[in-house]
Amino acid sequence: MTGGDRRAPQRRVLLLIASSSYKAEDFLDAASTLGVAVTVGSDQEQTLAELAPGSSLRIDFQQLDRSVARVVELHAEFPFDGVVAAEDEGVQLAAAVGEALGLRQNRPEAAARARRKDLFRECLREAGVPCPEFRVFPLDADPIEVAAALSDSPGLPCVLKPIALSASRGVIRTDRRDEAADVYRRVVGIVEAANEENPGATPPGVLAEEYIPGEEVALEGILRDGMLEPLALLDKPDPLEGPFFEETAFVTPSRHAPEVQSAIVAAVERTVEALGLREGPVHAELRINGDGVWPLEVAPRTIGGLCARLFRYRSRYSLEEVVLRHALDLELPEAEPGAAAAGVLMLPIPRAGVLRRVVGQEAARAVTEIEDVVISIHPGGEVVPLPEGHRYLGFVFARGESPGDVVGALHEAQERLEIEIGATVSAGA
Amino acid sequence: MIEFTEAAKRQILAFMEQDGVPGLAVRVRVASPSPVQPQYEMTLIELGERGPEDQTSDTDGIPVVVDPESARILEGTRVDWVDTLQESGFKFHNPNIQPLGSEPLTGPLAERVQRVLTERINPSVAMHGGAVSLVDIRDNIVYLQMSGGCQGCGMASVTLTQGVKQVLHDMVPEIVDVQDVTDHASGTDPYFSPAK
Repeated sequence: MTGGDRRAPQRRVLLLIASSSYKAEDFLDAASTLGVAVTVGSDQEQTLAELAPGSSLRIDFQQLDRSVARVVELHAEFPFDGVVAAEDEGVQLAAAVGEALGLRQNRPEAAARARRKDLFRECLREAGVPCPEFRVFPLDADPIEVAAALSDSPGLPCVLKPIALSASRGVIRTDRRDEAADVYRRVVGIVEAANEENPGATPPGVLAEEYIPGEEVALEGILRDGMLEPLALLDKPDPLEGPFFEETAFVTPSRHAPEVQSAIVAAVERTVEALGLREGPVHAELRINGDGVWPLEVAPRTIGGLCARLFRYRSRYSLEEVVLRHALDLELPEAEPGAAAAGVLMLPIPRAGVLRRVVGQEAARAVTEIEDVVISIHPGGEVVPLPEGHRYLGFVFARGESPGDVVGALHEAQERLEIEIGATVSAGA
Repeated sequence: MIEFTEAAKRQILAFMEQDGVPGLAVRVRVASPSPVQPQYEMTLIELGERGPEDQTSDTDGIPVVVDPESARILEGTRVDWVDTLQESGFKFHNPNIQPLGSEPLTGPLAERVQRVLTERINPSVAMHGGAVSLVDIRDNIVYLQMSGGCQGCGMASVTLTQGVKQVLHDMVPEIVDVQDVTDHASGTDPYFSPAK
């Protein structure tokens, strides 16, 4: 970590980041590299806020008008040159702040469309972009009636999911009418738990959509005045067929044929145009099959968890630096190409309990292509697998000469790790 | 040049057996000689992969390959293997790198920094169950360690960059940088835990 020159006139960015974020350190490091001052806007009071005026601001991501007013007030004393949302929670507020202060951001209505899976799909359907059949059920719908209705529309198999949670939380595939009611009840429970934990986390409904078979990919890019600049196309080499959709590996560059890659980029371009997204980072998740390319999600933020760190191995710039440079309208000099291929593996949580320890980290790091192993749940912390879980156990990063080498190394490292989980201790009399 | 403890030797031989390739050697490299966080690399290589400048020695039957620069820094180093609840891996005990905090801190600069930590920073940080302590000062760079609720906290970097650094820079202007040397992975009670 290096300090910027505090005597020089500094640009200032408002970084909207949840207190549960994985990305604070990486964004702050990138800002430090650029010599940019940061005001951290977060949902919790920072410990030293009173001692360092302008360095942080407690805001409510759900209360847009009130939060924008607070930002505008602070802007009078600490003028902002840019605003960035680190994750989903802040994208709508970032757009609203951008509009209020005339900063490079998306329009609020575009951010709202991207944030909600139901609005996203409606938008795609209207624009003629491939989109699965879908419908939304209220949380108090009768599960038996939901199961019967699903058989008709969108039809079985289908996928049930919360409207605005991320990272596959609460996403379950159901293939049969006789299990669909239980699956619906389970998703409702996850929605209610998420909103109890974080009020307003997701609208009170369950989205049901046609299951789209096929390979899944992700595209990371940046939008400048509506033009998409793809930064990386990532393959997901492990099959994602349900019933839960736990993402494991991302590897870049993609091994898909050039024409398929072009079709993926074109699908994201059509989607961002339909949504009205024009500025900043874009993380897209898509499925590919014989019927075409299906955008499942296009979010105005960077890839989740610590996955963005894999970009460091292929470029001199971190993804966070690219995002900050865009927000502040700073030029991005040509970077020397890094490793030929890079990847990240999100360690699956094998079962619920308390994490005792992760054995074999040194052995995993000893695999030639492995760059780092990061365990992101502390010893003694609760671990909950998908679909209820909402924390990553850890991340393994690799770089190599080819995507195949990287995938092999990630899986070899995973085999060398032994995750010790103990029983959850419940408090009681 | 370097020596292995019995535990380290057993672990290296286990890795060699796991690899299953005959004629392997251990390459030891100093990736960073920084006293903040000295970094060492140990990898298994085939002897044929040695470079012309590399030095090769036999340590209790284990061929060890070291590049000349690393060899200079590693002279007299003992390598151990630890496997505990808190950590697992090779540990280097290197007499040539003076780790941070190995000498008592004295002098007016250290006293001023300590006073800021005690009187200004720690009372606030304690409200989150955390604490920040002074580890060392070298070339006007302050090295700090975070504990309690700060260790492993998802917002620790915010506390450091947006709070501690700014307060220290304001009150002790000759400080050129503030660095966190905490082992956050070992934190067992972070105030904020990251989640999706």
